[in-house]
This record gives sequence, C-alpha cells and structure tokens, in this order.
Amino acid sequence: MSDFIQHLINGIASGTIYALIALGYTMVYGVLKLINFAHGDVMMVGVYVGYATAFQLGRAARTTLWGVLAIFLVAMAACALIGFLIERFAYRPLRDKPRLTALITAIGISFALSYGFQLDFGPLPGAAPRAFPEVIQPTEWLVLGDREVVVWNWQVISLLIAAALMVGLQYLVFRTRFGRAMRAVSFDHRVAGLMGIPTDRVIAVTFMLGSALAAGAGILYAIKDTSVQPLMGLYVGLKAFVAAVVGGIGNVPGAMVGALLLGLIEEFVVGYTASSWREAVAFGVLILVLLFKPEGLFGRVAAEKV
Amino acid sequence: MSAAANGEPLLQAKDASIEFGGLKALQRFNLEIRQGDLQGLIGPNGAGKTTAFNVLTGVYEPTSGDVFVCGQRVNGKKPHRINRLGLARTFQNIRLFRALTALDNVRVACLSESRPVFSAERLAALRREGGAWAWMANGLDAWNNYYDWWRALLLAPGFLREEEELTRRAEQLLEVMGLSHRRDEEARNLPYGEQRRLEIARALGTRPRVLLLDEPAAGMNTREKADLMVLIRRLREQFSLGILVIEHDMKLVMGICEQITVLDHGETIAVGTPEKVRADRKVIEAYLGDSYLETHPEAAQEAAR
Amino acid sequence: MVESAAPAATPALLPAWARGVTPVVIALGALAFAQWSSGGSPFFVYIASVVGVNCILAVSLNIVNGMTGQFSIGHAGFMAVGAYTAGKISLAFADTAVAGVPVVASDQLFLLISLLAGGTGAALFGFLVGLPSLRLRGDYLAIVTLGFGEIIRVIVQNTPALGAALGLSGIPQTSTLFMVWFWVFVTVLVARRIAHSSHGRSLWAIREDEVAAEAMGVDTTAYKVRSFVISSFFAGVAGGLFAHFIPIINPNSFGFVKSMEVVVMVVAGGLGSTTGAIVAAVALTLLPEGLRTAFNAFSSDPALAQKADQIRMPIYGLLLVVLMLARPQGLFGTREVWDVLPRWLPRRRKGVA
Repeated sequence: MSDFIQHLINGIASGTIYALIALGYTMVYGVLKLINFAHGDVMMVGVYVGYATAFQLGRAARTTLWGVLAIFLVAMAACALIGFLIERFAYRPLRDKPRLTALITAIGISFALSYGFQLDFGPLPGAAPRAFPEVIQPTEWLVLGDREVVVWNWQVISLLIAAALMVGLQYLVFRTRFGRAMRAVSFDHRVAGLMGIPTDRVIAVTFMLGSALAAGAGILYAIKDTSVQPLMGLYVGLKAFVAAVVGGIGNVPGAMVGALLLGLIEEFVVGYTASSWREAVAFGVLILVLLFKPEGLFGRVAAEKV
Repeated sequence: MSAAANGEPLLQAKDASIEFGGLKALQRFNLEIRQGDLQGLIGPNGAGKTTAFNVLTGVYEPTSGDVFVCGQRVNGKKPHRINRLGLARTFQNIRLFRALTALDNVRVACLSESRPVFSAERLAALRREGGAWAWMANGLDAWNNYYDWWRALLLAPGFLREEEELTRRAEQLLEVMGLSHRRDEEARNLPYGEQRRLEIARALGTRPRVLLLDEPAAGMNTREKADLMVLIRRLREQFSLGILVIEHDMKLVMGICEQITVLDHGETIAVGTPEKVRADRKVIEAYLGDSYLETHPEAAQEAAR
Repeated sequence: MVESAAPAATPALLPAWARGVTPVVIALGALAFAQWSSGGSPFFVYIASVVGVNCILAVSLNIVNGMTGQFSIGHAGFMAVGAYTAGKISLAFADTAVAGVPVVASDQLFLLISLLAGGTGAALFGFLVGLPSLRLRGDYLAIVTLGFGEIIRVIVQNTPALGAALGLSGIPQTSTLFMVWFWVFVTVLVARRIAHSSHGRSLWAIREDEVAAEAMGVDTTAYKVRSFVISSFFAGVAGGLFAHFIPIINPNSFGFVKSMEVVVMVVAGGLGSTTGAIVAAVALTLLPEGLRTAFNAFSSDPALAQKADQIRMPIYGLLLVVLMLARPQGLFGTREVWDVLPRWLPRRRKGVA
C-alpha cells in the first residue's frame, strides 16, 4: 500500500512538470495548428541557461530564494526570446503554406538544437550529461511510517511552483482580454485578424509564454533528475506532447489532465515492471490514444470544411 | 441500371438530418432525383445546401434519416463507395488536383475498368448476404487490388490496354467540355471558367448516374453562364443523368431547373416548380427579409395568389 | 509528370507479356557481368553499398512522402525489421549451401531468400502500422511513424535473441555490389512504373487533394496503405542488405537519426521525384564520407574527423529549415530525369500509342 502511495506522489510530481511543458504544445497548436516539434528542445536550451546561471551565482547565492528566483527568471526569459525568434523567422513565413512544410521546419529546428548542443566546441556543452547544481537542499518534508512513504521538499516546492504557473495561465487565458484574443486566434486566425486582433503579436506572445513555461518546467525537471543532457528535450518533450494529445491537443485544461494521467501511468508501469520500459510507455499510450480516440479526452473532432 | 429503367429514384434522401454539436445544420431533408431530372437547391448563405451535398455524398453521415443511391442505403459509407454507386459531384471552392494536368485530373476519375479476379457483381452479391460473407467480400476486393498493382508493375498487356482505353475516355470527356486544347496544361494554370468545366469533366469520368453541381456558375460572366445552362442541359441528354444544382444565380436556376428545393437554416421551406417557388411567401422572406412583403405590397399580392 | 503508360513507338520486338520483365533481365545480366569483371577495393565496395542502400531507402520513402503526400518519419523502423529478419534467417542458413553450384551463387541465393523474407516482414509491419494510422491527420501520422520506429528499437534492445543493445553479429557478409545495385534498380523501376500508372495518378491525387480524390472514387485509405506497404517492403530489403555488409548490427543504427537522414534526402531531392531522391541520397552519403576521408588524410587529429561527422546532424536540421523557407520543392520538385531525356531513348509517349 505504501508503495502505491509513493508511486502516486511521484506520479503527480512528474505529472505537474509534464503539464507545464504540455501547455506550451497545446497553446501553440491552438493558435497555429502546428505541432511544435522544437518545443522540448527550446526547453533544453533553457535548462542549460539555468545551469550556467546557477554556476555564475556560485554555491552560496544559488541556494537562496533570490538565487533560485534568478535562475528561473533568466532561463524563462532566455526561452521566451528563443521562442520568439523561432516563431518570427521560421514559422511566420510559412503560416499560409501547407502544414507539412511547417512540420518539416519544426523537425529541422528540433534536430539542429538537440544535435547542435551535443557538439563539443565553443559555448556548446557537448553530449555528456552534467549534474545540475544543487539549488534546493533535499530534505524530507513528510515521512509516513518507517520511511515507507517519503515526500521530499523539492517535490512539494516543484508542485507549488507548477501549480502557481498553471493557475496563472488559466487566469490569463480565461479571464483577460489577451486570453480572449488568444482563443479567437485559435479558432480562425484570419477572421481574428479581420476583427482587429493583432494576430502576429498574439501568436508571438503565445509562443513566448509557452517557451517560458517550458523553461520553468525544465529546471524543475533538472532539479528532480539532477542531470542535464542535450537529448532531454526530445525525451521529456515527447512525453509532454503525448500528454497534450491525451488531453486533446489545443485544449488547455485537457493538457493538464493528460499530463497528470501520463505521469501516473508512467510511474506505475515503471514501478511495477522495469525501468527500461520507461520510454516505451509514452509511445504506447500515444499510439493507443491515436488509435482509439485521436481527438483526446477533451478534444473535439475537427471537421474539415468541404 | 434497373433503378433507372423502372423510373425509381437514382438518388433519394428521406428525412436526412445532421447535427454538429448543438447546431442543426440540416433537418429532415427530402429529395428524389430520377434519370432525366434537372433540379435545383437554393437558399440564402448558410442555409445548409453544401451540407446537404456532403450528406448525400457521404462526407458526413446523417445523424438521422436515410440516403439511398440507386436503391442502396448509403448511410455511413465512405464517399468513394458512394461515388462508385453512381453519384458524382463538383465542389463549391474548386478542388482540382492542381499540380496534375487537365488530362490527368480526368484520368484519376476514370479509374481502370479492369477485369478483376472477383467481379463487382459477385462482390456486391456477397456483400448483400451480410455478416461473414460481406467481410470476405472486402478481403477479396483487397486481393483484386493487389493483383491489379502486380499487373501494373509487370506491364501486363491487359493493363496497358485498359490504360489506353482510360486515356481515350478521358480525352473524349475533355472534348465534350471543350478543353481538349488544355490537355497537357497543369490544372492550376487554367482560367477560372475552364477550371470549373474541368471539375465537371472530372466528375463525369466516374460514370455517374447522378451529378451534383455545387455553384457551377460562381464567378462566371453572363455569357459564360448562358453557355453553362446549355451545357448542363446537353450533359443531361448525352450522359443520361439526373442533375442537382446548387446555385445563387436565380436566372440560371429558374432557367433550367424543373423542380427547386429551398433551404433556410437547414430546413426545407419550399419545394416546387420555379414559378411556384418564386412566388412563395416564405422564400421571399428568407431571401429578402420579413419586412420586404410589408414594404412591397405588389410582391405580397403576387405571393397571395 | 505522369504520362500514359503506353509503350514506346518502337515496333514490337518482344512478345507483349515479356515487356515488363525484360529490363529486369537485362539489368541482371549487366550487373552480374560488372560484378564478375571488377575487383574493387573493400572500401569502394563498402561505400558503393552504403550509397545503394540509401538510394533504396530514399526512393522507397519517396513513394509515401512524395507521391502520396503523407508524412512518414519512421522509415528506419522498417529497415530494422528487415535487417533483423534477414539476419536471423541468414544465420540459420549459415552453414548450408546448394550443391552443384559455385559457392558464390549459392550464397547469393540464400541472401536473396533472406532479403525477400526481410522485405516481406517489413511489409507486414507496414500494413499493421499503416492501416490504423493512415486514417489520422498528417501531423499525427508523423508521430505514430516516429513512435513505431522507437518502439522497434526498444523491443530489439530488450530482446536477447536479437542481440539486445550489444547487437547481432556473425551474419554472413554475403552482400555484393551486384545484389545491392540490383535492388536499387528494382526499386527505381517499381517507383517509376507506379508513377506512370493509374495507381500512381491516384496517389498523386491523394497528395493534391484527398477529399476530392475520395469523391472521385479513389479509396484513399486503401491506396495510402498500399503505398506504405510497398515502401516498407523496400526499406526492409535495404535493411537486409545492410545487415550483410555490416559486421554487427545494433538498434542504434536504425534510430530516429537514420529516419531523419532519409527524410532529408527525400525532401532535399524534391518530394515526389525519384531522380531527386537518388541524387540527394548519393550526395548526402558521399559528402560526409568524403569529408571524413579528407579529414583523416590531411590532419593528424582523429577527433576532428569525428567532429565533422557530428556536425552533420545539426546541419541536416538547419538544411531542412532553410529548404522549407527558400526552396520547399527541393532540387527537382516533382520532375524526373526521364521526362526531359532526348527522344531517341525509349520512353513513354504522351497519349495513346
């Protein structure tokens, strides 16, 4: 039983991290109808920026509240910038071209980033995994029984940060004018433009938001996993993508639900079988969903106008 | 074949309805097209005309009601199956194969009348048995197609002959529509009016019994529309078709259609001859607004008769 | 682009039924002669084999991604199925030979059997993967094919009988230039004949406008599945060939990286052009090899050559982006070299014979 609870807690913890990344996928798909393959890799860049910042701050500074805040903010800002650049120069010119063109471009960027960061010269970090510097001193926050169930402090902090970011996003999307503009653009960007909505700006900000959230999630993930390597963007990004699809891509609450589900499924499968099947879980879930309910839990089947 | 001979309808909709979420796009739509018919489907924008076409051709499955093509119930069947039963269409926004030549556009539609290992009649008979036989019919159909691919890859003489016949038939259709000079031109380079004609030629390639034309005159000038009216009548004779036209141009619709169905917000508000429909009160209100009849007493008099 | 399949205007030298297979017979003879009369350094044989395998992969992927306009990015998964299937069968036959013929011929015969088995296995997977996923929209199909490739990799990694992560070794290295380039020839021939037939036209129609194609009587799902199956068959054969000139095959050779390499070849050559696929495959195989050789020859630092290799991947990524922005139709677009050849070569004529 205690195993079960432990897995439950771990699953929720990773689920919230996936949720933050999944939100980026789903928001971008909502406004652009494009699966941004490069999303996970932008996150990876953010994590490395955070890593560099943590190093610059030094051991003492980075464990303070301000230090941690700085790491997050710098990484999120960097990702927002990268997201903006990618959208502006790679996706915007292709907005009215067939979707396949944009998809190929997204894959190209993903490739360039993930393999580029594996190179070993100049500022590029190289393929070897590095340990993410200690930012939060791991202490047990809650212990049940004889160490049967342990909740770590960083899990709680991670959960709180993730929850705060998600609540913030919900507020933004559903209670602000900008959020309404986002939703309008996601229905039909041409009509939204005719209604006077600055479509380009809305899309750019959506991208920046999604990327920033991903950076935050990435750092939380790095804290949890304690290692960073250039291919983490692909792996984690894929899981978040699956989460978004499960919830119904384009649907914001759906992404969160899907991510939690995926986190739990992954944790339970790995817990009760073997960890070498971890990667296959995400793909397995994805294929099952696509086969039986491709529009996801909350998605609507998009009817093409004939 | 037999359906036409008996005068049975080639295309029939019985209370066909479709809903999208809460939106009732089409309600209790009824239609009968027999060989030689030339009917029209009109209504203000958003009335559900193209939706009706989509339901008839299988793009959407009706949420209630039935559609019959040549006597067979086609609810839920895929559009290509329904097309094979004898129903062809054109599209409101031209959907040609843009990078293919005019000839190739038509050739795609004229798919080889190959002599398959298992004939269409035998397969249809099996399908009618239902259950496991129908499932087996699908398997045999797949075998037909793999066999056909082998014939293509090995350049079997029978296959080459069929390709020649197919090409000949496509060329004839281009000639009928006056497009022979555009044979090797890519479809996207054709002028608008010719593109519309090409779409019709392509639809005819599928050897339909019923032809659905979705706004065939859109964007045409007066002269072209007049030619189109003559063409549609001629096609009906030449190919023994039943034709249903969606159009906004009243002159064209009233000019060639023998019976007109009027839709508004998914509902049928009038059915009848052009004269009857033109004077129908509800039709006038739908197109011109409720207050029109009050401000134009002479039209109200007309409608009252 | 798609002309009539009517035969050329030359008088009928051959009986009608033989016209299809004649080019294959001629190719067999020519290639066998070339093989027998040439020596060829091992390095040359290796390079030419890799080029050949990549050509098969690119031309076969072009059938799905180019002609049919779908987006399959897991091609290496089918290659893996073919490689391991063919490898295991060859291992089983390793000590047998056909009596009465020279060993070389017997080897080639068993190789052929293994290749056909590998191709068929891959085709079967193509069917299993294609049938459900080709109902999905373009971007979802991409994900599913990607997932398939990765799942194959994970399965192999966890299967000791297939060598797991260390790889499968000991496969008889019976591949010859003859066999490799014979299959290149067959793949190109099949691609060309499909393109010139009514089936090919239906595939192009699906690429142009799937809804319209469906409305014109084309069973789009069935056609998409069929193109998928044919494409995976040849990917399987390519994998089988690969297994017979590479001493050890391991799952990493067939990962996402390999799939993307093939995608880049097809996109750069032009989605829909068999010629483009071949040119791109040759160029993108020889270029890195050439660079690596040059680095090895001119510099003493072995790491530099490796770096040159590593830089290949991000450059491919950037190449894709630049291509899509500047020249999305690739090198050849949808044109073929045989559409512009001079008239004295036997080629398909426009119109009816």
